Formats: sequence, C-alpha cells, structure tokens
Amino acid sequence: MIEEVQGFLQVYVENWPDWGPQIYAAIWVTIQLTAASFALAIAIGLLLALGKLSPIRLVRAFCTGYIEIARGVPVLAILFLLYFGLVPLGIVFDAFTASVIGLGMGAAGYIAEVFRAGIQAIHKGQREAALAVGMTPAMTFRHIILPQAFRIILPPLLNMMIILLKDTSICSLISTEELMLRAKDLAMMSFLPMHLFLLAGVIYFFLAWPLSLATRRVERWMQRGRRQTFGV
Amino acid sequence: MEFLTKVADLGGPLLLGAVTTVMITLSALAVAMVLGLALALVRLLGFRVLNGLIGTYIEVFRNTPVLAQLFIIYFSLPYIGMKIDPFTAAVIGLGLNGGAILCEVFRSGLNAIHHGQREASLAVGMTPWMSLRFIILPQTWRITLPPLGNYAIALLKDTAIVSAIAAPEIMFYARNLVTSTFETTFIYILAALLYFCLSFPLARLVERFERQQRAWL
Repeated sequence: MIEEVQGFLQVYVENWPDWGPQIYAAIWVTIQLTAASFALAIAIGLLLALGKLSPIRLVRAFCTGYIEIARGVPVLAILFLLYFGLVPLGIVFDAFTASVIGLGMGAAGYIAEVFRAGIQAIHKGQREAALAVGMTPAMTFRHIILPQAFRIILPPLLNMMIILLKDTSICSLISTEELMLRAKDLAMMSFLPMHLFLLAGVIYFFLAWPLSLATRRVERWMQRGRRQTFGV
Repeated sequence: MEFLTKVADLGGPLLLGAVTTVMITLSALAVAMVLGLALALVRLLGFRVLNGLIGTYIEVFRNTPVLAQLFIIYFSLPYIGMKIDPFTAAVIGLGLNGGAILCEVFRSGLNAIHHGQREASLAVGMTPWMSLRFIILPQTWRITLPPLGNYAIALLKDTAIVSAIAAPEIMFYARNLVTSTFETTFIYILAALLYFCLSFPLARLVERFERQQRAWL
C-alpha cells in the first residue's frame, strides 16, 4: 500500500520538470480569468441593480429580463454562443475574451440581485435623512447607502468569486488555455489522467479554500457587528 | 414557414437531449438529497471522527470545480479498473457534489428548529425516531424548500457541463448538430432558450416557496 502511494507520487517527481512550468502558466491564466470576469460582473451587476431600482419602467423591465435570462441559462451555453455561435455573424472573439465576457455576463445576473438586496436592506430613513440634511441623491448613494450596503454585500460577493474561480474550468471547453485544459492536454499526452486530474483538483482546492475561509471569517465578523448594533 | 421547419428539424434532437438533461438532473438531485440529509443527520450525533470526515468531504467538494470531479470520476477510474458509462458518471459526480452543498442546507435547516420541539416531543413519550420523523423533519422541510429549489436550478444548469464527458444531453446534441448542419448561431440560441424554458418555471416555483415562507414566519 505504502509502496503504491510512493510509486504514485514518484510519477509527479519524475514529470515535474516537464509539467511544472506549463501548470504554473495555466494557474496564472485561471487567476487572470477569475479576476477579469469578477470585475466585469461587478460593473454590469451594479448597473443592473441600479436599473432594477430605477423609476423608469422600460429600464426596469430590461434589467429584470437580463437578470432572469442570465440566471436561467448555463455558463456553458453562453460561452458556446459567444465563442462559436457569433462567428457566422462576423463577431469573432479569442477564447480568453469570450470566457471573460461569458463568465462576467452570467455572474452579473447573480451579483445584481446581491446588490439590489443589499441596497434595499438599508432602511429608507437613512436615505430620507441624508436628503433632508441637503445631500444630493448621488452623494446619498455614495456616502450613506453604499458603505452600509457594502457590509451586507461582501460575503455573497466573495462567494460569487469562489463560484467564478470554479467556473473558469468550464472555459476549457472553448479551448481557453487555463488549468483544466492544460491538465487535460497533459493527461492525453502522458496517458496519466488520474495523476493530472487529481493535481488539477488539488490546485483548484488550494486556490478556492483560502477564499472560503476568508468568506466565513467575514460573515462571522459582520454578524458580530450586527449583534452589537441591536444590543441583543 | 421555412423558419418553423428549421426550428422543428433542429429542435427535435435538442428536445431528445432535454429528456436526458431532466433525467440526469432528477437522478443527481435524488442522490444529493439522500446523501445530504443522511450526512446532516449523522453530524447531529456528534461523533468527532465522523464529523471531521464529513467536514473534509464538504470542504473538498465545495472548493473544487464540478468539471474536475467529473473528469476524475470518468477518465481516472478506468485507470484503476472501474469503467462507468457517461450517464452514471454524471449522476455520481453531480450527486456527490450536491451532497456536500445540501448537507449544509439541511444542517442549517435542522439547526433552525428550536430544541424545545424535540424536548417536548420526547416528553410526551415519542421515541427519538418518531420525534425526528413527525416533529423535526416536517418543519425542516418547510425551511429548506427554497434553498433546495435554488440548488435544483443550479444543478439543472450544471448538467450542461456533463457534455464534456459525452453524456447525451442538450449541449452534447447541440455540438453534434453544429458539426452536421453548420447552423451555429441558431442552434446555440435554441439550446440556451431550451435551458431557460426548463429553469424559468423552477425559478418561479422557488419564488413562490419563498413568499409562502415569509407568510409563515
């Protein structure tokens, strides 16, 4: 049993000079992909959330429709549509760009709901008071609503980032050069699928786990703050 | 008219894929629910070693991509002498993944029941099993219904990924159709629409559960 495990691990040691640099490069792409799509999702998500709270009916309907569709269609279907489906119309993205847009647009639907819930959770007296002391609506949003909503929004945002990190693996199916694709290619070349997919799984785990722990800590930290506020 | 025949021609195979999608979703949901509830109940027993093992299982499956889990199950198990077909691999992979998510859902549902409920039911002479069956679980069920529905929607969308291990569901048929007809844009829009038609009613249902729950509380 111990010999078998040693033999299993020996394969990694032998192949690391070959695999190592490729895996490192792929991890970097995965991180870039996560960061870029997260930034895009936050930007679109914030606009959608504001749009959904807007007094103009048409804007509201558009944002609601977008959110429903983004939340109802799998990431893979969005990615395929962007990367393969738009080519006949003359719109060609490279795989990385398509991945960022696809992941970002999909996640924006969730993030919009997170933002909306956060903004609506702020008591309307806060807004009224800010306006009453002479703040403009923009100042009210920037200095009163957003800082308070941020505390409510932070844990689900971090959660979304973990989901995005895991979802970047799906981008391998449209040939984005990230971790999963690299693992799959190396597995096919070396005929060692078990080794490489396990390696990929372990790497994803150690990328996502610190984020999970941080999320949990932030959650606890905010609950503590809340308990003090209400004196319970 | 031409448009309609095109929809019928290309939509047929996709609908066939939708049947598999629904079957994978339901099977994986069943596996995940049984596994999640069983593990959540075992956790309540409070054995340290068992809880540690379950905690590790949850952390591992929640912090790795489903695709990696599917690849390990489908491509790596034959390597140690276990061969399984794509459908089974998909159900096992998504089921194990869902078990980890639902274990947390059921746990928070069980924790939300006031311990007085259990004490009262034991005090009136119910056995621990009866207390669980007739007092605790029905209340837990009401609390966990909305997150359970949300998980079902996420699962339905995750089934698209299993096309990567050649399970014959919507995306798999879509890719095949594209290579034979070259109607790329049309087919992928149709596929996305099909997923939307499956998940939208579920989302409305979850919304209704949530409204009902607010009314109870």
